Amino acid sequence: MTNRRNTELGLMLLAVIITAGAYVLASLGAEARIPANVVPFLVIVLGLLLGAHVALRRLAPDADPILLPVAAVLNGLGYVLIAGLPPMPNMPSGEELARQQALWTAIGVGAFIATLVVVKRPRDLERYRYTFALVGIGLLLLPLIPGIGREINGSRIWVGLGPVNFQPGEVAKVVLALFFAAYLADQRELIATSVWKLGPLRLPDPKYLGPVVIAWLVTLVVMVYQKDLGSSLMFFALFVVMLWVATDRPSFLVLGGGLFAAGAWFAWSAFSHVRQRVDIWLDPWQDPSDSGYQIIQGLFAMGFGGLAGTGLGLGSSVRIPASESDYIFAVVVEQLGLLGGTVVIVAFLLMVGAGLRIASLAEHAFDKLLATGLTLLLGVQAFLIIGGVTRLLPLTGVTLPFMSYGGSSLVVNYVLLALLLRISDRRRATVPSVDADTGAMPAVGGGHG
Amino acid sequence: MNRNIRRLGVALMLCYVALFVKLNWIQVIDADDLANNPLNTAPIRQDFNRARGAITSGDGVLLAESIPNPDVDSEFDRLRVYPEGELFGHVTGYFSFQFGASGLEREYSEELTGQTFGQQVRGFADLFVANENVGNMTVSVRQDLQQIARDQLGEREGSVVAIDPRTGEILSFWSYPTFDPNALSGTDIEATEQAWALYNLAPGTPLRAHQYQDRYFPGSTFKVVTGSVGLETGTVTNDEPSYPFVSGYTAPQTDLVISNFGGRVCGGTLPEILAVSCNSSFAQMGTETIGGELMVQGSESWGFNRDVPIDMPAPAQSFFPPDVVSNPPKLAQSSIGQSDVQATPLQMAMVAGAVANGGTMMRPHLMTEIRNRQGSLVDEADPEPWLTPLSPTNAETMRVDMIGVVEDGTATALRIPGFEVGGKTGTAQLGTDPPRSHTWIIGFAGPPGQPATVAVAVVVLDQDGGSEATGGRVAGPIARAVLEAALARP
Repeated sequence: MTNRRNTELGLMLLAVIITAGAYVLASLGAEARIPANVVPFLVIVLGLLLGAHVALRRLAPDADPILLPVAAVLNGLGYVLIAGLPPMPNMPSGEELARQQALWTAIGVGAFIATLVVVKRPRDLERYRYTFALVGIGLLLLPLIPGIGREINGSRIWVGLGPVNFQPGEVAKVVLALFFAAYLADQRELIATSVWKLGPLRLPDPKYLGPVVIAWLVTLVVMVYQKDLGSSLMFFALFVVMLWVATDRPSFLVLGGGLFAAGAWFAWSAFSHVRQRVDIWLDPWQDPSDSGYQIIQGLFAMGFGGLAGTGLGLGSSVRIPASESDYIFAVVVEQLGLLGGTVVIVAFLLMVGAGLRIASLAEHAFDKLLATGLTLLLGVQAFLIIGGVTRLLPLTGVTLPFMSYGGSSLVVNYVLLALLLRISDRRRATVPSVDADTGAMPAVGGGHG
Repeated sequence: MNRNIRRLGVALMLCYVALFVKLNWIQVIDADDLANNPLNTAPIRQDFNRARGAITSGDGVLLAESIPNPDVDSEFDRLRVYPEGELFGHVTGYFSFQFGASGLEREYSEELTGQTFGQQVRGFADLFVANENVGNMTVSVRQDLQQIARDQLGEREGSVVAIDPRTGEILSFWSYPTFDPNALSGTDIEATEQAWALYNLAPGTPLRAHQYQDRYFPGSTFKVVTGSVGLETGTVTNDEPSYPFVSGYTAPQTDLVISNFGGRVCGGTLPEILAVSCNSSFAQMGTETIGGELMVQGSESWGFNRDVPIDMPAPAQSFFPPDVVSNPPKLAQSSIGQSDVQATPLQMAMVAGAVANGGTMMRPHLMTEIRNRQGSLVDEADPEPWLTPLSPTNAETMRVDMIGVVEDGTATALRIPGFEVGGKTGTAQLGTDPPRSHTWIIGFAGPPGQPATVAVAVVVLDQDGGSEATGGRVAGPIARAVLEAALARP
């Protein structure tokens, strides 16, 4: 079935052309700030993306053809935008960031290929569920260890080992998704059938609620001690939704929602940094030069972009704080306008669609749950940060997958992508996949219940 | 599980639809509010970072250009520099990130940055090489004349305007105090804010271009207008009427005497009274010979109470009070350039210029041409008449009369051997004790028997003394130096 790979090759070439074209346009403008000497790095990045496709041809010939090209476009476009960021005192220049990002892309694509090589069958991972649980929780709590944990920009989510800083929370995302998928695939019948009536609610037996509570507590710890609202929200959503998908008990959603509301209210009333985030969200104009600065400058930049944007490399010369990472979406909208912003939103929606399609077509519970979990991570993370930047939601500092500058995020998301593709790669002689061959997106869900 | 996966898909899709709606909201509905928010510097920054053409003086001296910002860490890519600094401050104006622009920088901002429709169309081939079709501008103001005006005026408050009466090109455009545009156009925001505060506190409003944005009593220089209105309305000729030799004039409906300086007795025909700047005669001419209605119409034909079509921002109107029609005492005062009559130095230079140019007042302008980077013409200024207050015959009469003032009258300070020079002095008394006055001189000069090539107006503010001689003594040498330099290098 190399048809899928040929479809993918076409899409990959399109992604490469879009990125190279964006770069050329950005550097042609006399006003553009794109440094010429990032060209070799750009070539390396594009080569790496095509390399990932070649690896897929060998390692997972039947994998979904949509995911990698979409990730490639996001990665490439983000790269061009990062390279064109204006200079700012005490900050690495766009050129330096671009060089770093090329290295991270290389490591990311390396991890992508390595994942495909190592994981021949996703279900081989099922056996390590408790290892994953321990590793995941360990990684989450790592930044709290004195000595290696570092607080950057008010969030204690970094671990420094020598010169390298990384965010173990990013890795923990995938590791915990693996654990949840394995745990639920194993226990879901039991959890679903043991009923404990509490008024109108049909709750599961308390003894199975342990993991839910533990997960909830871990997220609270993450939120309180690491001040990382985005990640804690993601973990909680991940667990509750996977539980609901696995057991088909809506009461879990109700319970999860209740716990979330209680936790949120408790956090809001007890912690000033949470309250501040909400206040800024409700009214950033209170303190436009300090706490509201990032949000307001982001809105200004986006509004300035209008319908079609200022043009690549021609954005205003104000550098929004974190515009290379959390705030990259504001840069997209400024330079490419409403159209560019819409393209990015649609790209993530495409990935979510492809991921859930993989989940619904997978035959084993573990594969289904893992694909659901991984897709949810990707979709919710993008939703959180785009929502934060556009002031739809309070801002929670998470990166925009594949677009933001940052090693941890990029590498982990490539691993996540590899796992999704691995799940989608199976011999399905009985089920034709006409739509996949044309590259068209079928409706979400394949109806193979 | 698949049913729930489908539901999850729908839920996530709704989330993304919400993002899409919110994004549209920002980009479309909120965009204007965001753009107009005073905290939003993006539009200004965009303008400030645009490539801008150079400005060059009439004699080829660079006045303004944009260079790459030497401060590489700055958020601004370019730095606007003014090699001549103060000398052309009021001409170029400033180009500031916080305070906008003034002078030519403001008037020709679109042309300098290549934003005009014509330049955009021309640059259409360069669609992908953005913002490189800037306009480079040449102006008529000459660096040498500007320097002479500055040296001569020194640190006295006042203005010097020299124009080419044949074309309306402004050759010198100086006033003191002035400012250094480099101080306001820099990229160091704190430094520019300090400079701005200092200039705004400084005496004499250095940021205002007094030579065309401020008006003063023109005093006796206005007698050129009064006499000319007399000639043009046919009520006055060089021979008729001959005004009585008196020491003062008392208008109807008042006992206030308009006296001649020091109670001197003077009178006679137009050339005679112009030469000695006789108050009583001109007051009588305006009030009785010409009359209020014709004086108002006449002065308006000279550009009073009108917007001057100069290619500079916010010019001031010169003023002749229309209510003199029913107020003879005020009319008498106004006829000799007192009362409420006010004129900009530019206006009075144009008065002298119109007399020298056969009665036609040309549209005053600074821009002579704008060329794109390839050197082809984007825009050029053709000489255009603005007003014709005098017929050629009457203009010749007044021209000869003004030459008489220089040869044998109050404006002898303007004499330049080998050239035909005409002029008129003015001393606008400020009613103080001891007397102080704005001292004026206006004039024109050219080779004998040929049209004058330069006209000038000089005002020096708030000087000691109040005699008719004061104007000639204080302002005369300044005007003469400028005329000489302009004649030396036409």
